Formats: sequence, structure tokens, C-alpha cells
Amino acid sequence: MDVAHIVSKFDEELNKIEALLLEMGGLVESQIRNSIEAVRTRDEALAQIVMETDIRVNELEREIDDLTVRVLALRQPVASDLRAALCAMKVAGNLERIGDYAKGMARRMDDIYTHGRTFDGPFAALLRMSDIVQGMLTDVLDAYVSRDLEKSQIVWRRDDDVDTIYTSIFREILTYMMENPTHITAGMHLLFIAKNLERTGDHVTNMSEQLYFLLTGDKFDESTMNIIAFGGRDG
Amino acid sequence: MATKTAQNGKEDLDIKIRSRKVNVYYGDTHAIKDVDIDIEANTVTAFIGPSGCGKSTFLRCLNRMNDTIDVARVTGEILLDEHDIYARDVDPVQLRAQVGMVFQKPNPFPKSIYDNIAYGPRIHGLVANKSELDEIVESCLRRAALWDEVKDRLDEPGTSLSGGQQQRLCIGRAIATAPHVLLMDEPCSALDPIATAQIEELIDELRQDYSVVIVTHSMQQAGRVSQKTAFFHLGNLVEAGSTEKIFTSPEDERTQNYITGRIG
Repeated sequence: MDVAHIVSKFDEELNKIEALLLEMGGLVESQIRNSIEAVRTRDEALAQIVMETDIRVNELEREIDDLTVRVLALRQPVASDLRAALCAMKVAGNLERIGDYAKGMARRMDDIYTHGRTFDGPFAALLRMSDIVQGMLTDVLDAYVSRDLEKSQIVWRRDDDVDTIYTSIFREILTYMMENPTHITAGMHLLFIAKNLERTGDHVTNMSEQLYFLLTGDKFDESTMNIIAFGGRDG
Repeated sequence: MATKTAQNGKEDLDIKIRSRKVNVYYGDTHAIKDVDIDIEANTVTAFIGPSGCGKSTFLRCLNRMNDTIDVARVTGEILLDEHDIYARDVDPVQLRAQVGMVFQKPNPFPKSIYDNIAYGPRIHGLVANKSELDEIVESCLRRAALWDEVKDRLDEPGTSLSGGQQQRLCIGRAIATAPHVLLMDEPCSALDPIATAQIEELIDELRQDYSVVIVTHSMQQAGRVSQKTAFFHLGNLVEAGSTEKIFTSPEDERTQNYITGRIG
């Protein structure tokens, strides 16, 4: 929204919420990137950083919640301001959860290695999946900043690829574990990591749906999303 | 938009007032421009917009209050229950009994509480005897949520009441002539939050029997009391629709800028 509010404090508060959200987004992006890198390279220090970052991420969510509640109570925002406030609160909730998943992945990092082999096939697929999920997260945050509906919708569609890879990883690891029960512990840890990434993709699509409400004022509807993503609003 | 109901050829029974291409001129000033709107029955419709946008002017067209202003000229068509209220055979006094009005500042007659309510039914010949009149006075004061506070002092002057009570008395007076529509021009702007809440509660109850059209400068009030909202700007009806829609995702940028408190 380019036009300023008559009450400049109102703009300051909305801008502050947005700034906190972007700080949070940046931290969560780094958490996901670092947790996968820690898993890939068995980097314990990096895993530790991911876990420590989560403290600040949780703090930021609380700050965003508090500030949003304040704006709702004192400014009674309507229309695009109301949607921005609600969207910020929900997006912060999704980011916080993604941060938890990153923390979970970082915590399991060492177990994969201490319990034996790392299953080359599924591991490669996991890294591919992580590239897609990281790209989705970056793009949805960019779409949020630039209020880019089209970009956000493309992100939403990419989650299908994530789900497909997750299903194949699941089958492959299951096969490994059935073949040899000593693979079960490492297999389960790897599977949980894959699951966390898959869930991250789901939270990113949630954010894209919240962005849809923010930008259009309409409740998200999967059928409309498909039409718009394929051929523009009138397509 | 409310007008869609008519355009879709749907059952029009729920439309109480229909305005088509209404223009108002004060001398050379073009105050209202081609306003088309449908006011639904049993619905509170809020008119919002910046000062001077024409919302009060348009409200006053609905019971021909603009007739009292010499330089005002109204064109177009306003139908109340499908009858043209500007037709030559319509008596504006009778019309105003059917389309009552409550003003910004409470303006009870300099008479007793009882007579404030009884005045309309008397001059319009709506009652046959004193006991009927007593009944009307009591029921109107009850409907105006004022009875319990004044039942023991009906002979005292209306002006002796508090501001909020006076405004409820005026609402009671407006409904005493059994109107179809109640027009309210910023009815709470001179009242404190408690009295405002009482009036808002009353408006919601009145909706069961009347169409209520309220002009308000308070966005929150429009949001609280109305089901439909119409936004006026520079004499144009910019946007009309469900209140929820107007306050979550208005279609016009001018509406958006106004309700969010931006310089438009």
C-alpha cells in the first residue's frame, strides 16, 4: 500500500510488524539451509547454530503476536490493513513451526551417521527435496515483500513435487529397513528429516494461501488457485 | 452491490427503497450524482464518507427533507415500496410519517415526555381515544428502551432527560407514527459511549420491524450496527455492499483509502 495513513504512528506499527516478520523469515531460511547442510556434512557446530537460532525465532513470533494484538485493539484496522495484520500473525505462526522442523532436523543429524550408513539414493533425493523447499520458502517470502500474487501461486504448485519426492524417499527407506533391520534406526531418523522437509513445504503453501487472502481479499480456494496459476485471473 | 438484486430479476420483495439516477443540486452545486441504490427491508444500511460527500444530503432525499431548502433541486426517481415519493400526489408530511428521521442532536419538543411521543399519532389521526394513545406511548417508549427509566415521570419535559435518553425519546417519537423506514443522521455523535451502545443495541432491535438507514462518521459504528454499507465520495455512490465485504476487502481504491484512514 503506497498511500500513507493520516495517523503516521499506524504506519510505523504496521511497518514494524512487517520488518519483524522479514527478520523472522530470514532467520528461518537460514535455519532450514543450515540444518540440511549440517546433515549433509555432519557439521555439529552448524547444527548447534540452528538450535540456537530457534530461540530468537520464537521470540520474534511472540513480538509479532504482541504488536499485532496491539494494533487490532488500538487501531481497529480494516480492509487491507486488517488483512495485513491477520496475515502477519498467521505467517509468523507458520515460520515458527518451520523453525521447529529445522531444529528437529539439526538434532537428528548425528544419529544418521552414528547408526551406520546414510542410504545414498534417498539421501540424494532428500537434498533435491531440500533445494525445492528452500527455493519455495525464499520465493514465498519474496512474494510477500513484493506483494506478488503470481509468484506466490507458483510456489503453491511446487509443493506437489515435494510430496512426490517424499513418497519415493519413504518407499526407498522402507525397503532398506525391510531388507536389513540394522538399518532401522538410521532409516527412521532420515525418514523423520524427510518428513520435516515435507511438512515445511506444507507450511510454505499455507503462507502462500495467506498471501492470497492478503492480496485479493478472498478466502483461498484451491480451484481458483489452479485457474489463476495456469492462466491469469480471467484465464 | 445491492442494485444487483433488481438487475438479476430476482424477487424484489425485500427492497424497501429504490433510488435511480438521483441527482441533487444546491443552486449551481451538484451535490449528488446519479445515485442508484436499493435499501433493503429489515436491514441497517450505513452511509459513510468524508464530510461534504453528500451522504446526509442523499439521506434527506429519502423523506423529502430537501424540499424545505429553497435552492435544493432533486431529479431522478426514489421509490418507497415501488411508489414514487416525489410524485405530485404525495404529501411530504404523510411521507415523513412513513419515513421517520432522527437527527444528530437530540431535539425533543419542548413538551412533556408523554406528548413528545403522542404528538405524531395525534396529528396523523392514528388513535381514537386516550387509552389507545396511552398504549402507543408505552409501547413506543418500550421499543425505544426508555420506558423503565421514564414511566414514573411522563409529565416531565422531554428536555429534562439526559442526552442519551433524549435521543431514545426522539427514536420513540419517530416510531410512534408506525413508519416503514427510519433515517438516522449521526444519531450518536453527541452521545457518550454508554448511551451510544444503548442506541446501537436499539437500532439492532428496530431492524426487526423497520429498514434503518444511518449516516455515521464512525467506521466502527458502521461496522457494528449495519449489514449493508454504502460509501459516498464527492457526491458519487462509490461502492455499496455487505458491511463485512466493505470492511475486509472493498473493491474501490477510494473506499479502501477512506476506511483505512489514508489520504486518498
